[in-house]
Amino acid sequence: MNTLSAIRAFTSPELQAMRPLNPGLASPRAASIPASELQALASDATQAIGQAPKTEASFNGVLGQFVQDVNAKQVQAGQAVAGLLGGQDVPLHQAVLSMEEASVSFQLMVEVRNRLLESYQELMRMQV
Amino acid sequence: MLNFISGISATSAALNAERIRMEVVSQNIANANTTRSLDGKPYRRQQVVFESLLQQQSGGRSDRPLAEVRVARIQNDQHPLHTVYNPGHPDANAQGFVDMPNVNVHEEMVDLMTSSRAFEANLAVAKTARSMALQTLAIGKR
Repeated sequence: MNTLSAIRAFTSPELQAMRPLNPGLASPRAASIPASELQALASDATQAIGQAPKTEASFNGVLGQFVQDVNAKQVQAGQAVAGLLGGQDVPLHQAVLSMEEASVSFQLMVEVRNRLLESYQELMRMQV
Repeated sequence: MLNFISGISATSAALNAERIRMEVVSQNIANANTTRSLDGKPYRRQQVVFESLLQQQSGGRSDRPLAEVRVARIQNDQHPLHTVYNPGHPDANAQGFVDMPNVNVHEEMVDLMTSSRAFEANLAVAKTARSMALQTLAIGKR
């Protein structure tokens, strides 16, 4: 949402009005962009960035919580298997299902990590 | 706790219920000839009664909770006991008749197969739910 709002700021009506300028960027009309509009744009963008930590939990916290959840699933599966092998009253299907759940959540975590790394590398390859 | 495989808790509860049913069937078959059970009387066939249980899902969607199944109780079959003439039996009465359990092994086998098929159906649900989750994870893979 955070990045989206920034994009929205760039596609705001002020910029739409600038579209006709595109073919000739060096034209003298470029200087005719009112400073007030640029200022409004800038404030919009900073507002979007500044708002993010207040409205949403920090990215780090969300990711950490997620990793902990996945870890809890793994621990739960391990306990179920240990209980089954230890002769406690743990049904076989419960142990297998918890293992399955742990496996799926782990794969989800790996998938999230892959996407994050991919987008990071995409950014690093970007020509400035 | 997050719930990655949807509906897995209902399936797990159903598997558990079917397992209990199978255990009760095995107890019935094992005691088909028991003339002295724990209370000293002939064994009576046991039956499981299932009931649904509304389970609040932990993974959100509290507006549409899933109904799980559980074994409400295990109760005696009310059919009369079989009486056989066997004067040599230690539990025979004065006329030489012995009360045998009201277990019909054929019925028990049918129950066993029904329970096994129901277990299989729930396993198929679990398998499908898992493969759906994995397929969802593969969205956008190159």
